[in-house]
Amino acid sequence: MSSVRRPDAEAKVRGAVEYGADLAVPGMLWGALVLSPVAHATVRSVDLSAARALPSVVAVGAADVPHIAGASGDPERRPFPEREVVYRAQPLAAVAAPTLALAREAARAVRLELEPLPTVADVEAVFPEWPGPGGPGSPHVAAHVLARRGDVDRALAGATTVVAGTYRTAGVCQVALEPHACLAEAEDGRWKVRTSTQSPFGVREDVASLLGVPEASVEVEGTWVGGGFGGKGASLLEPYALLLARASGAPVRLALTYREEFLLGRSTLPMVVRMETGVRDGRIVARRVRLLLDVGASLPGRDFATGYSIGFLLGPYRTEVFEVEGYAVRTNKPPFGPHRAPLAPQAAFAVESHLAEVARAVGVDPETFRAQHLWATGGETPFRQVVGPFGLGEAFAAARARAAAWRAQRPDGHGVGVGLGFWSTNTGAGGEARLVLSGRELRIEQGEREIGSGSVSVGLATVAARRTGLPFERVRVVYAPTSEAPFDSGVYGSRTVGALGRAVDEAAVALLAEIGRRIGATGPVTLALDQDRLVARNDGRSTPVADLLTEDERASGGVRTVGRHYGVAPAIDESLVVDGSFYPFQDFTGAAHVAEVSVDPATGAVRLIRYAAFHDVGTVLDPAGARAQVEGGVVMGLGTALTEEAVWSDEGRLLSDGLVDYRLPRIGDVPPIEVTFVEGHAGAGPFGAKGLGEPPIVPVPATIAAAVRDAVGADLTELPLSAERVARAVKAPRPCGSGDAARPRGASGDRR
Amino acid sequence: MSGEPPALRVNGRAVALDDVPGDERLLDTLRWRLGLRGTKEGCRSGGCGACTVLVDGRGRLSCLALTRELEGSSVMTVEGAADDPVGRTVQEAFVQEGAAQCGYCTPGFVMAVTGLLRGRGDARPTSEVLRGLGGNLCRCTGYVAIARAVERARQELR
Amino acid sequence: MAPPELLTPTTEEGAVAELVATAPGTVAVLAGGTDLLLDLEERRLEPRRLLSLRRLPWNRHAWEGGGLTLGSTEPLSALEEDPQLPVRLPALAQGIAAVGSPALRLQATVGGNLGRSAPASDLTPVLLALDAEVELLGTAGARRMPVDRFLRASRETALGPGELIRSVRIPEDRPSSAYRWQRVRPAHDISQIGVAVAYAPRERRWGVSLGGAPPRPRLVPEAAAELHGPRPPEAEVAAASERLARDPALVSDRRASDEHRRRLAAVLCTRAVRAALSPPVAEPT
Repeated sequence: MSSVRRPDAEAKVRGAVEYGADLAVPGMLWGALVLSPVAHATVRSVDLSAARALPSVVAVGAADVPHIAGASGDPERRPFPEREVVYRAQPLAAVAAPTLALAREAARAVRLELEPLPTVADVEAVFPEWPGPGGPGSPHVAAHVLARRGDVDRALAGATTVVAGTYRTAGVCQVALEPHACLAEAEDGRWKVRTSTQSPFGVREDVASLLGVPEASVEVEGTWVGGGFGGKGASLLEPYALLLARASGAPVRLALTYREEFLLGRSTLPMVVRMETGVRDGRIVARRVRLLLDVGASLPGRDFATGYSIGFLLGPYRTEVFEVEGYAVRTNKPPFGPHRAPLAPQAAFAVESHLAEVARAVGVDPETFRAQHLWATGGETPFRQVVGPFGLGEAFAAARARAAAWRAQRPDGHGVGVGLGFWSTNTGAGGEARLVLSGRELRIEQGEREIGSGSVSVGLATVAARRTGLPFERVRVVYAPTSEAPFDSGVYGSRTVGALGRAVDEAAVALLAEIGRRIGATGPVTLALDQDRLVARNDGRSTPVADLLTEDERASGGVRTVGRHYGVAPAIDESLVVDGSFYPFQDFTGAAHVAEVSVDPATGAVRLIRYAAFHDVGTVLDPAGARAQVEGGVVMGLGTALTEEAVWSDEGRLLSDGLVDYRLPRIGDVPPIEVTFVEGHAGAGPFGAKGLGEPPIVPVPATIAAAVRDAVGADLTELPLSAERVARAVKAPRPCGSGDAARPRGASGDRR
Repeated sequence: MSGEPPALRVNGRAVALDDVPGDERLLDTLRWRLGLRGTKEGCRSGGCGACTVLVDGRGRLSCLALTRELEGSSVMTVEGAADDPVGRTVQEAFVQEGAAQCGYCTPGFVMAVTGLLRGRGDARPTSEVLRGLGGNLCRCTGYVAIARAVERARQELR
Repeated sequence: MAPPELLTPTTEEGAVAELVATAPGTVAVLAGGTDLLLDLEERRLEPRRLLSLRRLPWNRHAWEGGGLTLGSTEPLSALEEDPQLPVRLPALAQGIAAVGSPALRLQATVGGNLGRSAPASDLTPVLLALDAEVELLGTAGARRMPVDRFLRASRETALGPGELIRSVRIPEDRPSSAYRWQRVRPAHDISQIGVAVAYAPRERRWGVSLGGAPPRPRLVPEAAAELHGPRPPEAEVAAASERLARDPALVSDRRASDEHRRRLAAVLCTRAVRAALSPPVAEPT
């Protein structure tokens, strides 16, 4: 596979790249947070006096945050709570000192008077039945969503077979290798912070809002990022570091330990989903989905997760009669936050497992059943959006062929399974890019940071190179603080190439047009490298770019053009929505994966033998980078599928607060992974590209569950597929058609 | 004990340890006392391998090494790897195979691989080298490109 | 608090003397540091002095007297590299290979592992099944005791004040031995079940130990009693496994049900005995 040499690779292998935790300036103070030891409590007092009495120590608490009119004592709109702690490790104060040891000592000296309150740590304890006490009006409910299309009860009554199943998935953590870290300065009403973040402009907005200061007074400079995976998409430490910087008059470095990352991280939380599907004549006639989502200490009314993920719970399958209802339930855990493809791997696990059960209940092979219902380009989603160019059908066909070949060879105790995943990239608020063309290089000025995938350092440059004709090596992506860089929402939702990339492409097209105008071009213009100078080529003529620059341009760097992409969100059919918000799909990308596993039936241990991933990518812009995304996403998905599980006590204490207990995949866990790209179903990105940061993780748990099921003949309904769950399933496999699995028509609506 | 204690050498240069407290980790000495921040701080508990350096030629977790215990030893960090023929080969292999994405785990992996391949290391099968990397975590690459880089480096060194 | 003073004595007598000279509870003994440094970081311990054993002549092992003497401060990686270990004491080779990671084994020591007495240690169940004895050194000289008596509970041993772990003695080669383990599920402590088995050729009896179930790894003589002679038949292996599975230490908690723990214990016991009866292999599975 041809590849470009990543421009940041050399520095990274030399350790010459500066991350948030590497920042250091003279006179810098070390910050530390004071974290609540209990998950739910009334705050009687937070006494900073003993900490402040220590030499050279500054301490800040709720009283030091500018009052924001209208804000209540909620956890997300203020850095420190005034009245109530709502999750364990919630920051109650922050201190800074000349050394880390002294800062930690000062943090310990802060006196907390907290009156414990009853703790909610389990959504099913709050909602033992559906719809639960108080329903949507309950104080435990952060959000309620409900949508209907057609008459589900009637359609289910008319089905020949109805299959119901309940699926539970665990919380998972991002665990980027690099913890959060930043360095802040505050002086004369100006707030400056250098931080490891996926979204410098997002941090700027958050900080301004949390500290009650104008955005224009805040400057954020992103550093290189040691992995984000959604965990660094919003601000976290910056407000505390800035408050300490203001209190001390000195630069303040604030970083989290690994344990604090686990305790404070906002990530995917547990989910319980009940699915009911009616079938007649081999076709799905109705679906009902009921979702209970743990959203931690999220504020009422501030929930993207439930309305967002519930769409994925219907899967990429045609469904004309449905009812979907979801509750975002508050618990005493940190607020729900985005992980890689938030909740999509869990949703795919539930959908794929459920539809396989449905298929078996009606005597149809699960792969065939899914293929019969799969969306096709131009078709209609359940919420009546038009399905854009969609290559999942082609990917699925290729996966099925691979699975058949592997099945034919598989030894006893091995299983082969196929899982599908659907993802929609997220345009975000949008972004701008500026291109600057000199006689020697093309520079891209933009507002993102490279977080690892190469979508910025390579992807944006590849788009500009491809559009203009320049070699990749002559296109340089530059990074700048928010005061200089053009606005961009940030790196998340797999949006960089599709959204910011489009802005780059637009600017490149404008650049070629401008160059063309200057050379009086007829027909297409391209740029090229000729003996170390950039030239404009048109109709057989070649003109050095340097000769085309004005005096001003020579002084200021070159010809400048701007591109913008703010996206237009397509719409769902809002008449289907009864309550809450549902999110339209902005793009349609899919993947079909195949796994071969071996299962030890005695212990339930699952081992990956080999894996194949088929991805609908539109157009491959950077083959090596694309392959790397799939490989990395698949392995992260292995963790979600098999070993990663955030475990809380009933008192809201995170028990899995380190690498020993929260087990990530290691090098010995990785099977051979075959990667195949399906091109030609053009996405919204430049040259038809589709985002690839998140799709690779989505099908993985579903695929492994299918393979395990093939090996042991038993259904698995919980993630992760721990050894105990697999072993238990082997001991008591549910025969199809009995018990919970299927009811003949005529049965009334069931309790969840 | 008479005479000067043997110095700690870091990337070939002697380092005075008089001011170093007894419980200071090599990781912190490197990053904050010597300004060598190429070695990354991860879990600080030996679980992630991001802090790996070479001590007397073998990969070692600098978060669990007390600097004062290393008197007389020779330390190589990622900043010194380019001056070592094996280190340089490993670095180039990582670049060629795209084995560095976010790059945070990269210095630890580069040093761990260098330690494993030095001496008789390149005669070992790749699978054995990969087993030796069981303590190094990566969250971005899925280890696939890293394994390719190891193989490439082994081939280059033969 | 001022950072602790680091002492690095060069003789055993000097080490014991330093230990005794320091007020009880204010000195921490440093072997490999893989546990101690975490205790310091998390402030579980705040000693005034660190007593490093690095320079003592305890960092080697010797095949002698028909068995193996392990110096307490030898890094596990050095033991791992001894080609005789998987042949003469396969259970020990397998237990060592299960500890941490290759990098951690460059520092971790037998003495440190024993002194920490973790319920989920991979080494201590093996040492129990091999009838190992620990040698302790104090001002009154050296004394020995079976590892079974030395271990009490998590972080609790029979180590007296002013005593150091000097060596571990495994009395004889036990080529028919094995260690098998499996993680139960991610949880707060390292949570797993481990089973070590070893046939004692001189006394013609088996040792079976169970690791991973608190409060500490234990010998289970009732299970061992089901195995007779150097090649017990399948029926005896099944009986021993079934008896081990009934051990009262295998309880339910949030990490795993008792049912799963018992299932694992039985399976691991069967596999351990079968492995013990097979020719030695280079790698544990």
